[in-house]
Amino acid sequence: MEHWAAALAIGLGAIGPGLGIGYGVGKAMEAIGRNPDVSGTILAPMLIGLGFAEAIAIYALVIAFILPK
Amino acid sequence: MQISAMQISVMAVAAAEEGGHDPTSLVSPVMFHIGPIPVTAHIVSAWVVMAILVGLSILATRNMQMVPRGLQNVFEVLIGGLLDLIDQTAGPKGRQFAPVVMTAFLFILFSNWIGTFPFFGDVPALHSPNSNLNVTAAMAIFVFVLVQFYALRTLGLLGYLMEFVIPNPLHVLTELARPVSLSLRLFGNIFAGGVLVHTMLGIAPFVTFVFLGLELFVGAVQALIFTMLTLVFLSIAVTGHGHDAHDEAHAEAHH
Repeated sequence: MEHWAAALAIGLGAIGPGLGIGYGVGKAMEAIGRNPDVSGTILAPMLIGLGFAEAIAIYALVIAFILPK
Repeated sequence: MQISAMQISVMAVAAAEEGGHDPTSLVSPVMFHIGPIPVTAHIVSAWVVMAILVGLSILATRNMQMVPRGLQNVFEVLIGGLLDLIDQTAGPKGRQFAPVVMTAFLFILFSNWIGTFPFFGDVPALHSPNSNLNVTAAMAIFVFVLVQFYALRTLGLLGYLMEFVIPNPLHVLTELARPVSLSLRLFGNIFAGGVLVHTMLGIAPFVTFVFLGLELFVGAVQALIFTMLTLVFLSIAVTGHGHDAHDEAHAEAHH
């Protein structure tokens, strides 16, 4: 049963960050579409925001790695 | 025979039996001892990264000229780009943190990339230092202490203590969550990247190079995220209260 726990940890834990990253990148693309000149300015803040969203999935991944052992 | 372990750990065990270090292991193998202190593989690889950085820096600055050529040119482009990014992200207050932020960036970048060299996976001493939580936690704790130091210096003792009470009492939680998320993000990305490449070597050896390329990209992005977050935390710490920053921004806008 232990590997089910790990699979559920990363599987369920990836849902929220997936939605968040999709929303964030979607908004950034929208902004670049409206004003292509600012694409360089948007990139760094977008990456920082994505880092925050991605961190949640990474927590789940770390838990998934340490669970079955 | 009982089939119990995950696919990933089966492959890792198979690879470990072939002689390489198991990349799914969270524990770093001990290479040798200095007196009573055990020296693990990830410390040695951190030393290798430092040696590369120091060596490149000496080579680049040994014979500096007004019109740069070769390695000096590469470094000037790198430093110039990073300074631009710091100015863009943190404004005029960011320049004082440029040395620590850029050192962290170069160390993390080279640490991440050293783990993606294909033949280095078999040498424990050349695994990415960031694939061990101790290394990333050390860096995150250093950033935490630095941020607290600058906050204390900017706000004074009373203002620093009031910060934990007045806006919201949960402020201490957000402060403590920063080093946790900084260290786990970097560690998780690099460690998971190593496991991914290792698993792909077991499933489909001929498309592994795609994932190595992905790891190069992830390594650069994670180095950028760690250093940019460090810079943002530090610049928030020296800005003090929110309205001060607004006043300064307005003052600058009117000039």
